[in-house]
Amino acid sequence: MAPTQRFRAFTGLALAGALALSLAACSSGSDEPAASGDDGGEVTTVGFVAVGPEGGWRTANEQNIQDAFSAENGFDLKYAPSSNGDQNSQITAFTSFIDEGVDAILLSATEATGWEDVLARAQEAEIPVVLLDRGIEPDDESLYTSRIAPDNVGISASAAEWANEQFPDGANYVVLEGPPGLSVVNDRNKGWDEAVADNLTKLESQSANWSTEEAKSVFETMLKANGNDIQLVFAQNDEMGLGAALAVEEAGLTPGTDVKIITIDGTQAALEALAAGRLSFVAEYNPLFGEDAIEVVNAALEGEDVESSIVVPSTTFDSPEAATAALPERQY
Amino acid sequence: MSASGTRPSAAVQFVTRLFHQPYVWAIVALLLLLVVNLTKNPAYLGVSVNAATGNLSGNVIDILRASAPIMMIAVGMTLVIATRGIDLSVGSVMAVAGAVSMEFMNTTGTGSFGTAAVAVLLALGISALLGTLNGILVSIVGLQPFITTLVMMLAGRGLAKVITSGQNTSATNEPFRWIANGTVLGFPVVFVIAVLIVAILAVLVRRTALGLMIESIGINPKAARMAGIRPVGILISVYIVSAVLAGVAGIFSTASVMTVEVSKTGMTAEMDAILAVVIGGTSLAGGKFSLTGSVIGALLIATLDKTIVYMSIPSSATPAFKAVVIVIICLLQSPRVRSMFNRRKTRVTSTRKEAVSA
Repeated sequence: MAPTQRFRAFTGLALAGALALSLAACSSGSDEPAASGDDGGEVTTVGFVAVGPEGGWRTANEQNIQDAFSAENGFDLKYAPSSNGDQNSQITAFTSFIDEGVDAILLSATEATGWEDVLARAQEAEIPVVLLDRGIEPDDESLYTSRIAPDNVGISASAAEWANEQFPDGANYVVLEGPPGLSVVNDRNKGWDEAVADNLTKLESQSANWSTEEAKSVFETMLKANGNDIQLVFAQNDEMGLGAALAVEEAGLTPGTDVKIITIDGTQAALEALAAGRLSFVAEYNPLFGEDAIEVVNAALEGEDVESSIVVPSTTFDSPEAATAALPERQY
Repeated sequence: MSASGTRPSAAVQFVTRLFHQPYVWAIVALLLLLVVNLTKNPAYLGVSVNAATGNLSGNVIDILRASAPIMMIAVGMTLVIATRGIDLSVGSVMAVAGAVSMEFMNTTGTGSFGTAAVAVLLALGISALLGTLNGILVSIVGLQPFITTLVMMLAGRGLAKVITSGQNTSATNEPFRWIANGTVLGFPVVFVIAVLIVAILAVLVRRTALGLMIESIGINPKAARMAGIRPVGILISVYIVSAVLAGVAGIFSTASVMTVEVSKTGMTAEMDAILAVVIGGTSLAGGKFSLTGSVIGALLIATLDKTIVYMSIPSSATPAFKAVVIVIICLLQSPRVRSMFNRRKTRVTSTRKEAVSA
C-alpha cells in the first residue's frame, strides 16, 4: 500500500512538472533565439528576470526588451517571467542566472525590498545588473550597475499639476493605488503629494491591485461612502482608471464632467477611452527603452562608466484630440 | 413560581440551539459589520432608485452583487470539501472561463445575443472539461485532491494566458455585460442567477439521496462503498459542479468590467471560497456540509471587503483587518472554544440552581 501511494504522489508531481514545462514552452516558444544565427562576434548571454503578464504596459515593455536583445543584435536573451508576480520565483530565476554564469542580468523586480543578498552575489560573480522600470529599496546604487526607468515621481507630479489647473477652486479626490509596498506606488504617491495643491482634498486612498475589476468595486463603494461628492480620481495605472470610469457610469454620473479621471501608463485602451472622453488625463509611462538597455549593457560589459539612473522621456495626453492623434501609431 | 422557573430555561434552550447552528457566528459577524458601517453613516442600509439609471442603488445592492461570484465558488467548494476533497483550481477556472468568453467575443466582434450565449456556453463547457479532468484524476487515478487541483490551478492560469496570448482582453457585448451589470425588478441579475443556481442545487442535493451519499463518502469512503455507493461517479460530478460554478463566477467577474485580466481574474478566489465554506461551518475534514452556511460565508466575505473600503481602512492594513475578523469567527466556531463556552454556561446555571434550592 505505502509504495503505491508514494508512486501516486510521485506521478502527481511529475505530471505537475511536465504540465508546467509544456506550458512554459508554449508561452515562450517564440522567444528562443536560434543558436546558429550568429555569424561572427561572440554572443552575449543576458538573463531577464521579468514580471510576466500583468497588463498592457508590462506586455509592451517586456516585448520591447525581448525584441531589442535579439539574436541579430548579438544577444542570447533568457526570459524568466515570475509566476504571478511572486518575488520568490524571481529570486530563484536570478540565482540560477548567476550559477549559469550569464554575461549580464536585467531585473524588473516585483517587490522593492529583499534584493540585497542576491545582488551582492551577482557582484561577487562580476555580473552587471541593470534594473528595468522597478527600483529596489533601500536604493543602494553600489549594488547594481544602472537603473533605466521613466521618472515616476515626475510623471505623477505632471498629473497633479494638470489637476491643479483643472480645479483652481479646489475639489475632493481619491487615489487608487497599486499594491502597497511597491517602489512604483511609493514614487507615484510621492510625486503627486508633492505637487498637488492644498485646496484639493484627498478623501481616501485605497489599493485596487492594478485591477479593473477591483477598481470598479472599490470606487463604487467610495462614491457611496462620500455621497458621490468626488470630482477627481487619481488612478495609478490605466486599468484601475478604466474600472473607476465603469463605476462612475454605473452610478449614473458622467466621467469627464462629474468625475475626472487621471491615469498613468498610456496604453492603447486608455488612449481610446481618453479619445471617447471617459478618461480626462493620461500620463504616459514610456515602456519602450530596449535600445537604452542595450547601450547600458554593452557599456557595462566593456567596463565603461554608466550613469546609475537613466530617465526615459515620457509625454502626457490631456485632451481627446491629443489621444486621437497619438492612437494610430500606438505600439502598446 | 413554576412558570417563572420554566421560562428562562426555554429561553436558554433557544439560545443554546441557536449557538449549535455552526454559522450563527457568521450571522452575528455580518450584523456587526453592518452596524460598524451604520456608525459611519446611518443611511448605510438605505436603498434608493438611481434617477439617472432607473436601477436600485445602495450599499446592500453592491454587497449582493459582489457576493455572487464568491457564492458560486463557495457552494461548489462545499460539495467538494464534503467528499473530503478540496478544489484549489476554482480561481484559475474563473480566469479560463473569462478568457475563453472574452477572446471569443473579441474575435467575433458582434454584440448580438447569440454571440453572448455561445460565449457563455464555451466558458461553461471548458470549465466542465477541467472539472472532469480533476474528477477523473481524483476518483479513478486516485491522486490526492490537493495535488490534483493544485496542478490544475497552475495549469489553468497558464491556459488562460495561452488563450489570450498573455494579454488582458476586452470585448463589447451588451447582453453579456447585462449578466453582471443589469437588473431584474431592480435586483442585480448576478445575484438573482446565483440564488437560483444555489436553490436548484440545494433541492437536487437535499431532496434526493445525493447529499447523503456525498456526506457518506466524506465520512467514511470504505463504508460508503460497502453500503453500495459508487464513489467514482459522485466524485467526478462534484468536481464538475465545482468547476462549472467557478466558470459561472468567472463569467460574473469578467462581465462586470468586460475585460479578463489573466493574472488577476479569480486570483486567490480559492481562498475566499474555502474561507466562506469554513465560516459557514462545514468541516474541512469532510462529511456534513451546509450550503446555507456557505452562502452566508460568501455574503460575509463580500460585506467584509466592502466594509474595508467604506470605512477607509488604509490599504496596507486591509489584509490584517480581514485576517483578524476571520480568525475571530473561526475561533468562535471551533468545537473546543464552544465547549469551553458551554461549560461556563452550565456552571452558571448549576450555581443558579444551588442558589434557588438554598
